[in-house]
Amino acid sequence: MMVKLLATVKKETLLLLRDKVGLSILFIMPMALIFVMTLIQDSAFKTMNEKGIPVIFVNNDRDSLGFQIEQGLRNNTLTSFSDSINGMPATAEMALKAVGEGKFLIGIIIPRGATEAIRKNVSHLVSETLNGADSANQKLLQLQDSVEITILIDPVAKQSFLTSVTSSLREFISEVKTKIMFQTFSSQIAEVIPDKKNAPKDSYTKSQIISYKEIYASKAANKIVPNAVQHNVPAWTIFAMFFIAIPLSGSILKEKNEGSVFRLNTMPTPYLLLVTGKVVVYVMVCLIQFMLMLSVGKIFLPMLGLPILVLGNSLLGIFILTLATAFAATGYGVMVGTLATTEHQAAIMGSLSILLLSALGGIWVPSYVMPEVMRNISAWSPLNWSLEGFYKLFLRGGHVSDILPDAIKLLLFFFATMGISYFFNNKKRTV
Amino acid sequence: MTNPAIIEIKDLTKIFKNAREPAVNGMSFSINRNEIFGLLGPNGAGKTTTISILCGLFSPTSGKVLIDGKDLHTELSSIKNIVGIVPQDIALYPTLSARENLAFYGSMYGLHGKVLKDKIETWLQKLGLTDASKRKVSTYSGGMKRRVNLIAGVLHNPKILFLDEPTVGVDVQSRNVIIEHLKEINATGTTIIYTSHHMEEAQNFCTRVSIIDQGRILIEGTPAELIRDNAGSTNLENVFLNLTNRKLRD
Repeated sequence: MMVKLLATVKKETLLLLRDKVGLSILFIMPMALIFVMTLIQDSAFKTMNEKGIPVIFVNNDRDSLGFQIEQGLRNNTLTSFSDSINGMPATAEMALKAVGEGKFLIGIIIPRGATEAIRKNVSHLVSETLNGADSANQKLLQLQDSVEITILIDPVAKQSFLTSVTSSLREFISEVKTKIMFQTFSSQIAEVIPDKKNAPKDSYTKSQIISYKEIYASKAANKIVPNAVQHNVPAWTIFAMFFIAIPLSGSILKEKNEGSVFRLNTMPTPYLLLVTGKVVVYVMVCLIQFMLMLSVGKIFLPMLGLPILVLGNSLLGIFILTLATAFAATGYGVMVGTLATTEHQAAIMGSLSILLLSALGGIWVPSYVMPEVMRNISAWSPLNWSLEGFYKLFLRGGHVSDILPDAIKLLLFFFATMGISYFFNNKKRTV
Repeated sequence: MTNPAIIEIKDLTKIFKNAREPAVNGMSFSINRNEIFGLLGPNGAGKTTTISILCGLFSPTSGKVLIDGKDLHTELSSIKNIVGIVPQDIALYPTLSARENLAFYGSMYGLHGKVLKDKIETWLQKLGLTDASKRKVSTYSGGMKRRVNLIAGVLHNPKILFLDEPTVGVDVQSRNVIIEHLKEINATGTTIIYTSHHMEEAQNFCTRVSIIDQGRILIEGTPAELIRDNAGSTNLENVFLNLTNRKLRD
């Protein structure tokens, strides 16, 4: 039996080595994909980081609130600040037009007399407080919203990106408003009660009452930093591994069309042994693909100025998960090759189904941003099991025990696809 | 005493799914050891279906088949070891060389090492393919492909060899070489079951023939007997046309 298996493996290897187009699909295409996707994503982030988000600022206030927000935006490296359009000081109308035309991603309009309005409101509040009004706290809350600042948004900009940018802006503007209110409030109190303790202080402006520290909740937090490389290398490697379904199913159908299967079916060699020969070769191909992809992340991407791929804590975990993914991808290819009746059909069925499974699996769009229904469907994609496993290893610093459930699911998927292939192969022969 | 019949077929019937007529309709015959048995018939007569059933490619709807005393239904795997097939279509990997193809197919019959290597060498030499043996099969002429196709079916010295139109589409030289070597194979004790549309070739090559149509046997005997018993026939082609009529078949 071993002689037959080795002969099948040798035959499959020779067939693969002589199929130049198939080889290029297997190795060059996924490497190119990783390069392109990582470079695009990384450069997109870099552009934003280096040049900053283009913001047009209209300061109709010409007072503390307006000036402090302006100063904050000018000093912020995330924003590219402008207060003029074509050399003219920006007005609200000009800003609306420019943002609408996509010249700026965001526009901020501070209304005339905004600072004065805050001061007046605070003075009023101080008087009421000193006169013993109970609703002072509630009024304070209302005061913060009593000045309306307009934020203009480019309608073409991505919603998820805008949400994060505008929330940061709101937080910053709110902080500036609170500072002004605090200063005004302190001054008012000092006027009424000229005590040393109540003298205006700028301590609020110099210190943060609440500060934030962001830590990635990874088991290898000290060495893994989420970036385009850490996300893209595993994602596109899985995609490429599953893409072997196309050449693999093609080779199965080619054997049928060229008549080899006819002869093989008359020989004393079981179907499962013949398929095992294919599985062995294509699993090896997947492992080589994976090594190449890792080398792209480890060697070639850093050459282009991208971050180096960090493998996490468990090389054994990576090996187990890669092997399980390779088996799942190979089993899927055998199934497509068995179910399809022509090479053309297999190519379409294979590529479309992999695109669909990869989209569902979170390769293109992370599954956590999907609606709940799609997230539930996503949990059934073998590409999702693999991706989740690799994220556990590459981003969360997980170990073998963390990825075992994913690896087991992938192996069960392999056995299921082989079972389906065996069943339909027998069914097709029972004519 | 050894059973003279190596293949015994009784009431063999095959009805394909959704087919209106049976492809093989209650066929019964036997083939003796060391015979060259011709299964002749027009297109759609049931020749390839019969051979496919005998090779174990698919099961009959009903009937019994014994091959070398073994029941085809229950002992298929051991029957496959003693059977060789040369299919009508070239069943080779075009991107592999003749040597690589033969090494693979030989291994599938359990041959390996020096035995396999020697057999491949011998057959390549016999059929004049040694020089081209390392070239991809896709670069071969039709005749060369047919010769490699033949070797792949006989490499393991089968007791029974099924030939489904082995000389179709080849030049006269290749055909002669193939027929001569088939006779040689038969002389070493291999029983040959042969289908063809080439009546002259069948007349000269077969020791016994059966003419079939619409899944049934019309007549059976040696070529000489069939010509003698069919008045006005001077060769097997006349007999064939008289029995199957001249109407065109799809």
